[in-house]
Amino acid sequence: MSDLLSSFSVSASGMAAQSSRLRHVSENIANADTPGYHRKLTPFREVMQGGRMTGEVEAAPVRLDDTELPEVFDPSHPMADEAGFYRGSNVDLVIEIADAREAQRSYEANLKMFDQARQMTRSLLEILRK
Amino acid sequence: MFDQLEILSMARGLATHSAARQSVVAQNLAQADTAGYKARDLASFGESYRASSGLALRSTRAGHIADSTPPPALRPHVERGIDGDPNGNTVSIESQMVKSAEIRTQHEMALSVYRTTLGILRTTLGRR
Repeated sequence: MSDLLSSFSVSASGMAAQSSRLRHVSENIANADTPGYHRKLTPFREVMQGGRMTGEVEAAPVRLDDTELPEVFDPSHPMADEAGFYRGSNVDLVIEIADAREAQRSYEANLKMFDQARQMTRSLLEILRK
Repeated sequence: MFDQLEILSMARGLATHSAARQSVVAQNLAQADTAGYKARDLASFGESYRASSGLALRSTRAGHIADSTPPPALRPHVERGIDGDPNGNTVSIESQMVKSAEIRTQHEMALSVYRTTLGILRTTLGRR
């Protein structure tokens, strides 16, 4: 029974981590046209408590993707230099959409595990009712 | 007479095993996108049931610290021989889903056996 209860918290941590990833993806997409914006990456790591792995996951502090920012030619842009170029953002919409899909798929998998643990707990408690 | 029924302890063992395995699968799925995480699994019930926990430390006094680690049979091991993602993660969502369906069936089976055995015992005692 305690295993089932711990798998609730593990699945919940997975869902929380995936949704914070999805939040960063949407921040990236919102800033796709912001000059000088570096896209945010959400690395995951295992939670360690008292020197032992708990099996839970958390989103580690955000890192910025330091790929070279593309130079966009637009002489009328207020931030353009003498040659008419300014630095855009390194957000690639295709990558962000793929990332969002992956986050959704993992979120659903975690949700499914949560639901299964709930059903198993319920059928376990059903035995007491007779 | 009823305190050592093999079928009850076996059903309990199967339920415990599937609960433990479910928690391992849930952990794998939670870490499905963690770089460098290796998928884990438990030994099958058949292998783990006979491997008794006879070597576990026992606390014989109230002041002793109990050995809280699970018995060896219920300790997860890293699955080998799977090609993982480029970031070193070896969790495949599909195979974990298949496993969880298997676990669900096993758990249901254990509970049905337990419930039926209790029903038979109740019948032998006479209905009230």
